[in-house]
Parts: sequence; structure tokens; C-alpha cells
Amino acid sequence: MTIRVSILLVVVATVAAPLRAQQDVAARLAGRVPQEVIALVRQLSADAAARGLPVEPLIQKAIEGGAKAVPADRIAAAVRGVVVQLDGAAAALADAGLTPPDTETIAAGAFALNAGLDGRDVASLARVAGRANRATIALRVAGTLSALGVPAAETVTLVSEMMRAGRGPAELTALPARLQAEVARGATPAQAATGLARAAAAPGRSPQPPRRGPPPRPPN
Amino acid sequence: MTDFHPLVKRLLDGEVTLADLPPALRAEGEEALRLLAAVDRERVVVSPALDERVMTAVRSRAAAPSAWRWLNRPREIRVRLRPWMLAPALAAAAALVLLVARPTPPLPLAPRMVTVRFVLVAPEAHQVAVAGTFNQWDAGATPLLRAGAPGVWTATLTLPAGNHQYAFVVDGARWVPDPAAPTVNDGFGRRNSVLTL
Repeated sequence: MTIRVSILLVVVATVAAPLRAQQDVAARLAGRVPQEVIALVRQLSADAAARGLPVEPLIQKAIEGGAKAVPADRIAAAVRGVVVQLDGAAAALADAGLTPPDTETIAAGAFALNAGLDGRDVASLARVAGRANRATIALRVAGTLSALGVPAAETVTLVSEMMRAGRGPAELTALPARLQAEVARGATPAQAATGLARAAAAPGRSPQPPRRGPPPRPPN
Repeated sequence: MTDFHPLVKRLLDGEVTLADLPPALRAEGEEALRLLAAVDRERVVVSPALDERVMTAVRSRAAAPSAWRWLNRPREIRVRLRPWMLAPALAAAAALVLLVARPTPPLPLAPRMVTVRFVLVAPEAHQVAVAGTFNQWDAGATPLLRAGAPGVWTATLTLPAGNHQYAFVVDGARWVPDPAAPTVNDGFGRRNSVLTL
């Protein structure tokens, strides 16, 4: 009797959780997007969750489309595009040995893909990171650098060198601002990234970019 | 409880008779026999079906072994230990305890929060807001206020660490990326600004 009740509870929980998740999706989208978009996002979310993908990016993209008054068919296409990026990120992370990758890392990988990196770049960064939480930060930063115009190769080199040099999350997260500062001084994004990577690789030095122009004159 | 003389116990066991006892013990022997006679010796009649019920239960248990019963069955374990072996055994146990109890980095219970200032220069605007993944893209949720300089709009928010995408909404209708931030394709033909904290 006890075993039967336990089996019944497991079955109910297994069926009820996805149903509840689908109801949550519908509740969050209600009044924000057309009904056909809600139905599509519910279906895509259920499929994505079954594959271990995060569903929040799908919901966010649909909400964003509704807020921007985008037609339903374009919202649907954008949400499908997000699913493709999430699948691509999950595959790249699996190639790197992060199995099963957590949903935050997959979302970070999808962001990096959307920002201009490809699956090999994502896998390469994940391999250097080694751990899921480190990979998450690395991929977010790499995506942001790519969005700032840094070519993919320089982006991967810079973030990888920072991780190999043992730089922590705060230093990684500060990279885009450092790069923007260098660009504001006249460097191209690629030059700035290369300089920061060289500085990061130098042993015992903080990742300061090389100076440009003549050295400062000593005070009189 | 009465403790009878050994000869009286032999009397109770039927090994000797009352006449065999020395005169000094005969009274004790008689008393013992009287007590023995007082014991209820009524014959106990067992139901004829009892044997069958017991054997049926025994056979059913023997015929249906279960993993749980196998795991739960008590067993005797004998350990023979030489005293000199205690030292390495204790050292191994201590190492195991240290390994298991090794301090691990605490799990983040709540995301780190970062204060961010959004700024847009829009001299022609009548109202400006910021909408993004942090406020469900609600164009009315986070208005920017006019700062000191003419045409400068600002808002200060405290956001969880992570990746955020956003855009400014000018006069409730025009979606404008932040000119000071990196941007990515929003999937709708426009650009979203990116904030990595």
C-alpha cells in the first residue's frame, strides 16, 4: 500500500511540475503578447525544459517583443531564434565537457553566441573555465566584449588569459569597462583587447594595458 | 522465591521419595509437594489449524525473498583486530572526517547587488524611461529624471549581478539603445544595450 501511494505521488509530481510551469509561462505572458504567442512559448518552453535548457530567456524575449509592439509572427521568430541559440550553447558546453551544463551557463553561452561568438569560441572558453559558475561569468564577459566590437579571436584570448592568470570574477567583469577606457583613448577594440591579454599573461603583474605615447615626465 | 534444599529439589524432580528425606527436611518436602500440586496443570489444547497456519507463513516468507528483507536481515559481523592496527585505522578515520568536513565556499544565497546609473542625453524628450530584463521590459516602470544639465536624464538602480539587456524609451514610444553601452541584436531588427555586472 505504501509503495503504491509513493509511486502515485511520484507520477503526480512528474506530471504536475511541467503543467504548473506551463501555467506560469501563460500567466506571465497574459496581456503582454497575443494568444498565439503564449501558446507557442508554452510549447517551446516545455520542450526546452525537457532538454535541460533555461526557459526564462524565451519568456523574456516574448515579453520584450510585446513591450516593443512587435507583430506576433516576428515575436515567434525571435523566440525560436533564442531556442536555437540555447541549443547551440548547450551543445558547445557539452563539447567542452560541462555535462550537464546548468541553465545559467547555457543562457550565458546563448548570449555570447548572439553577441557574435560561435560554438567553438564558447567551447574553448568553457574548457579554460573548467567549472560552470566560472564559465558563466567568462561567457557573459566575452559576449559583452564581442558586443563592444572586439573580434572573436581576441575576445577568447583575452578572457582565457585572464582565467589562466587566476583573475577572479570581479576582474573579469571589469574587463569591458577597461576596454572601453582604452578605446576612448584611441585604441581599436582589437588593439585594446590584445594589450589587456598581454598584460594578463605577464607573470606577477595586474592586467594593465601597455602605455601609449611617451612615458610621463618626472615632476620637476 | 523459595529456595529449597537440594534434597527437596530432587524430591520435586522425582528422583527421591518423601520417605527418603531426613526427618528434618520432610516438612519442607511436604510443603514443596503441596506447592507443586497447586500449579495449574490443565492440559493446553492447541488448535489443529495452528501448525498449518504457521507453516504456511513460513513457506510464504521463504518463497518470496525481497531486497528490503535481505538488506534488513540482521547479520553478525565479527572483527578481529590487533591493537597495533588501531593507530592507522584511527588516522584513516580522522583523515576521512577532515576530508568530509573540509570547509567549502558558501553557496550564494542571494545574488550580489550592484548600483548602476543610467544616463541619456535627449534634449528634445519630454519623458524618458529605461526598460529591460530587470523590469520585465515595462516602459513605465523606471522613469529617468532630468539631471542638472539641460537635456540630461538619469536614473539610479540597484540590480543583481549578471547580464542585463535594456533600452531607453523616449516619450513612451521610441526605443533607443544606450549610446555608452555595447549592443546586441534584439531579434526584432533593433539593438539592445548590454550591461554585465
